Amino acid sequence: METFPLTEPVLLVLLSLLEQPRHGYAILKDVESMSRGRVLLSTGTLYGALQRLLGEGWIERIQEDDAPRDRRTYRLTMRGRRNLQMEIERMRHLTKVAALRIAGKEA
Amino acid sequence: MIVALTVYCWLLCLYPVSYREEFGEEMKSVFRDARNEVPPTLIAKISFYAREFSGLLSGALRAHFDRLFGPALSFRRFYMQPQFRFPRSTVFLMLVIFAGTILTIAEASKIAGDTRGWSGVWPSLGSVLVFMLVTMCAAAAIVWGILHTLRRSGVHRLENVQSWIDSVKSNGI
Repeated sequence: METFPLTEPVLLVLLSLLEQPRHGYAILKDVESMSRGRVLLSTGTLYGALQRLLGEGWIERIQEDDAPRDRRTYRLTMRGRRNLQMEIERMRHLTKVAALRIAGKEA
Repeated sequence: MIVALTVYCWLLCLYPVSYREEFGEEMKSVFRDARNEVPPTLIAKISFYAREFSGLLSGALRAHFDRLFGPALSFRRFYMQPQFRFPRSTVFLMLVIFAGTILTIAEASKIAGDTRGWSGVWPSLGSVLVFMLVTMCAAAAIVWGILHTLRRSGVHRLENVQSWIDSVKSNGI
């Protein structure tokens, strides 16, 4: 499976769902909190990302009978979890290389 | 608040119908919740509405693009592929074009100096702007026509073929 860079909002949405299933507004607040207020998603951006993630099978909706139509919960699928781990691995490698090069330059 | 929600609903109408049916109610609910959390300062409010409304506009554009052409531009970050890099000759060609443009401007200035007094012959700025506007509208109409034709040509129905085959197989016909 290929690895590829994800946009920051999508990465944060996935990280938010990694912890626990969440509905739209909870994702919005969690993304804001994770990025320390730097990334403020609009509803258009959030649902654009959710639609594409649903389409790719990275997340799914949880069927809750008593949930109102305007408050549906999303969770990460196994595929989404696997791809997220690969992306984090890619970033970890990049960070390691960067740290080594910075240390080499400073020495 | 009611005005903001009304504007939000109008902008939501820019999305494809299927998208609105799937996410519309949820988006409105999240917008209401987010709006209630905005600090009561003017800057915070302006910033919130600007973010929300611009996000809706770009989201609607993207949703239509995805609907017409499929999710070709998905959530992957764009990065330049090796095959899309400019060849080295491009730099030379760009310099030639740049030099040609400079020479043309210089020649045009010279001719304009020679024909001073003939200004009545040249079209006014207003007519040039009107001409450019009409040209741009015509170009936009042509592009829209092409996209509309592509959508109406039956290409978008191809995606239903597989599901039809599957349904035939599952029914054992």
